[in-house]
This record gives sequence, C-alpha cells and structure tokens, in this order.
Amino acid sequence: MDIATVSIVIINIVIAIILSLAFVPILVWMERRVAGFIQDRLGPNRCHIGGMRLGGLVQSFADMLKLVFKEDYRPDSIKEKLLFTLSPAIVFATSFLTFMVIPFSDDLTIGAKTYMMQALPIDLGILWILAFAGLSVYGIILGGWASNNKYSLLGGVRAAAQVISYEATMGLSIISILIVYGSVNLGDMVRFQGELLWGFIPAWGVILQPVSAILFIITAFAETNRAPFDIAEGESEIVGGFHTEYSAMRFGLFFVGEYVAMSAASALIVTLFFGGYQIPWLNTEALKDNIQTVLISTIVIMPIISFFFARWIKRNNVWPVKDDPRAKETGRLLKVLIFINVLIVLSLALILAFGISSNGVNISVALIQFITFVAKLIVMNFFFILVRWTLVRFRYDQVQDLGWKILLPISIANIFVTAIFVVAFGG
Amino acid sequence: MIDIIFLILSLIAIAGGFGMIIFAQPIYSALSLIVCIIALGGIFALLSAPFLFMVQIIIYAGAIITLLLFIIMFLNIKDDNLPEEPNKISTIVIGGVLLIPFNYLILKSFAAMEDKPMHILSNGFGSIKIFGTELFENWLVPFEMISLLLLAALVGAVVYARKENKSEEK
Repeated sequence: MDIATVSIVIINIVIAIILSLAFVPILVWMERRVAGFIQDRLGPNRCHIGGMRLGGLVQSFADMLKLVFKEDYRPDSIKEKLLFTLSPAIVFATSFLTFMVIPFSDDLTIGAKTYMMQALPIDLGILWILAFAGLSVYGIILGGWASNNKYSLLGGVRAAAQVISYEATMGLSIISILIVYGSVNLGDMVRFQGELLWGFIPAWGVILQPVSAILFIITAFAETNRAPFDIAEGESEIVGGFHTEYSAMRFGLFFVGEYVAMSAASALIVTLFFGGYQIPWLNTEALKDNIQTVLISTIVIMPIISFFFARWIKRNNVWPVKDDPRAKETGRLLKVLIFINVLIVLSLALILAFGISSNGVNISVALIQFITFVAKLIVMNFFFILVRWTLVRFRYDQVQDLGWKILLPISIANIFVTAIFVVAFGG
Repeated sequence: MIDIIFLILSLIAIAGGFGMIIFAQPIYSALSLIVCIIALGGIFALLSAPFLFMVQIIIYAGAIITLLLFIIMFLNIKDDNLPEEPNKISTIVIGGVLLIPFNYLILKSFAAMEDKPMHILSNGFGSIKIFGTELFENWLVPFEMISLLLLAALVGAVVYARKENKSEEK
C-alpha cells in the first residue's frame, strides 16, 4: 500500500460521501427554489450568515440544524421500539450504499497501477444497485408497521406493493440495456458510451435504447418513492404515510435518505443512459491526446462564462435596504468569483508553461470527467425535482395498472426486439 | 481473517434461523429469515461466488421476503389471532434431538474430506461471465427445463386464482 493507493481510496470514498450526503442541502434548496418558481413565488432567500445568502442555500443548513436539535419524541403507543428506531437507519444506509459503485471518472493510471474510480472497486455494478434498491423498502415497510398506526401501516403496505411491482420492470429494462453493452460493470458501460455511432453520434444509452431509458427513469421514480409515485406518503389521503409518527432526527434520516436515494437514482440514470462521465465526442483517449487544447480553451472560455454569470448575479441578487449586511453580498460574491477565475487561469497557465507529465495528464483528465459527471448529475436531479412539482400524484390503482399492464409488457417486448437486433446485426 | 469472518457470518445465520422458529410474531420471524439469508449471502461471497452473493440478496432478501412481509402486513395479524403454542420449546428440542444423527453423518463426511485452502480464488472463478458460460454451455437443457417449470407454476397460480374469483361471483 503506497501513498497513491491510500490517497485514491480515501479520495473516492470522500467523493461518494460528498456526492450523496453533502449534496442533500443543495438538493433541498434546489427543490424549494424550483417549487417556488413553479408556484410563482420566490422560495427561501432571506436566511443569511454574516450577510451571505447564497441564493437561499443557507436556509437548508438551518433546516438540518433544526432537525438535529429537535426533541426526539416517541409516542407511548409504539411497542416495537427497536424496529421503530432501526427503520430510518435502513432507508438511509441502503440509499447511501447504492452510491458506492458509481464510477466518477475513467480508470485512473498513476505510475504502473490502475485504479477504479469508485468508492467500492468491485465489478458487480448493476447487481449491487439492484440488491440495495430492493432492500431499501424494508425501512419503509417496517417503519410503517412499527408505528402502530393505521395510516402508517397503509403507507408501508403501499410502498411494499409499489416496489414489488416496479422492481420487475426495472430489472427487465436493465436486461435490455445489458444486452447492448454486454457487461454488468458500470465502468465498462460508460466506456462503451464514449464511442461514436456511425462516426458522429455519441453512443449513449438513451440513443441506443430510448424505450429502456424511459422505462428505467419511470421505475426509478417509483423506487425512490418520489412524486408522482409518492403514494407511500400521500399526505392528502393517509396523513404522512409511513413517517406519520416520526419526528426530529428519526424523521430527518428518512428525509435525508429520500434525497440520497434520488441523487443515487440520478447518478445511475446518468451512468446507464447519458454517458456517465463522458463528454460527447471527447472520450478518454481524445481528452488525453488533446489535453493542451482543452486546457487552453478552458482558460479562454471560463472568464467569458464567469463574466456573464457575474452580470446575472448583479442584476438578480439585490437587497433593497442599504445598511443591511445582506446588501453587501453581491460585491463579495463577485470578488470570490474573480478570485476563483484568477486562481484557475493562473494555475492552468503555469501547468501549460512547465508542461505536464503523463500522470498529470491522467489526473487532469479524471478531474475534467468528474466535473462533467457532477454537472450531468445536477441536471438529472433538477429533472427529478421538476417532475415532482409538475405532475400530480397517481391514484393507487393507477400505479398498479401502469406497472403491470403497460410498463411490464413494453419492457418484455423491448428485450425481444433488442435481442433480435443484436443477434441479427452482430451487436 | 477469513476464518473469523466465516465464524461471525455463520453465527449470525444460525441466530437468524433460531429466531425464525422461536418468535411468535410472524413479522419477527420474517425479519430473522432476512438476517439468515443475508448472512448466507456473505458466506457465498467468502466462497468466491460473487454472483450467487448478489442474486441471493436480490431474489431472496429483496423480492421474496418483501412479498412475504407484504402479505403478513396485509393480513394485519393481532396478538389474539396467533395460535397458542404451549409446547413450543419442547417441540423444538425434540426436533433438534431427532436431527442429531443427520448432523453426525454430515459432520463425519466433512471430516473425511481432505483439506482445501479457504481463500478467494483468482482467475474469475464464480464471476458472472464464467458462471453464465458454464450454465449456457453445459447445463442449457436443465436450465431451460427449470424455467419452463417455473412458468408452468406461474400460469397455474394465475388459473387457480381466477377460478376462485368465478365461484365467488356465483
């Protein structure tokens, strides 16, 4: 175990924790602002630390603090205390573990060794994710049952029925995409998507398998219990569903778990169907060959984008009262933006001036791919949030009809068509 | 190291098995079964069978027990609905005693086997690719027969359920 190995293992785990756990406040903030936007209001934007509002992001941290420090109350009617406490932890842990096999960038070669850029370097990939997607429902079922409350029990039963119905379709839609990629390893899948189709279209899963992509996205919504499939909560029908009796951090774990699950599902959709960390038309080899051009264009493009971003901040981030600390925020934000720009441009210029070794090329390629992955992840999460605030909740029988009568036959037909294509045209 | 992990996993599996027959509340029995199954999955992983390990969790822990729990919760069994089992412990002990000859036979045959190294095998043993090739090259006919059997069971279940509904309507 040399230093490189240890540091890469630590970096991978830290990245997984950041992308799942530390992303939750950002996702909550995004959710509230998008909800505000759709409902024609502003959403949270006043909470501040020393004048810094960051567009309302600070509010989510305040919210998390509130959940942590709230009184941990448990009604006396609850007999199964162990299960009651255990179930939020199950939801949280399983959704967190799902994130462990998502590749953040192509295999990184440092010196003679090659490292898989995943928190858990195993090649089981999709099987691991299916396993933990199936286990996460136990938290909801047991929480609903242990609450000793009819509404909670109904929520738990609904969640179980929904997950059983949609897991079948999810597995079948994955099978048709596996036939195309020929591997269960997520890294191999993303490498496949770096190639070009007929020389000009990126071979992304969504282009090769549009039906499978749509099916998988729908079932991912159902598996994460998010609207329009949040019948397990269904506050208009069954109060709060499985988490009616929960409060404080026990509820907080359910809450965080939901967002981590959403983020993990987005990461999986990006990895399976939207090219993962691949930049279209620039796969790993192309990036390595043209690293000079990429760095120079970064130096040119970044200040231009930052200029427009700064103008946007100046126009939108205003506080009417002059002597409030929040009025100074725009100036500070602009200073930080300029500082970041100068830092990045200077360091890139230094790197270009002194030339980079092959290790340096590999690391910078991994970094660029990681940034691409995070950008795609944010866009996919945004899509999840947009859908939640646009569509209304399904009725319970509609959920079952959609799962068994529409999605399942389509997914089986899709497997047949895909298999015939692959056999006939040799893949 | 592997011996210690094996011991821990087997103890968990045995505890899960015991829990399943001892608990009166069906939900706890089902949960003990999950614990037992996951621990068995861990033992599969130790024996260089990652595919079996994952399938064990996906199929048994993920799908079948979820269905079981769903049904138990759907019936919503109260404490007074449970059957009284006054001789439970003595029945379990008698059953255990009756099983001793079998256990003796199994342990004897284990002791007769030669020593095999307990470590993770290399060259892809038990990986998905090797497993699939073996299954579809040497065991294709049994595999297809089993899938036909499962399909027949599925169709049979549907037909059976349908007949019940019709008789209710009359």
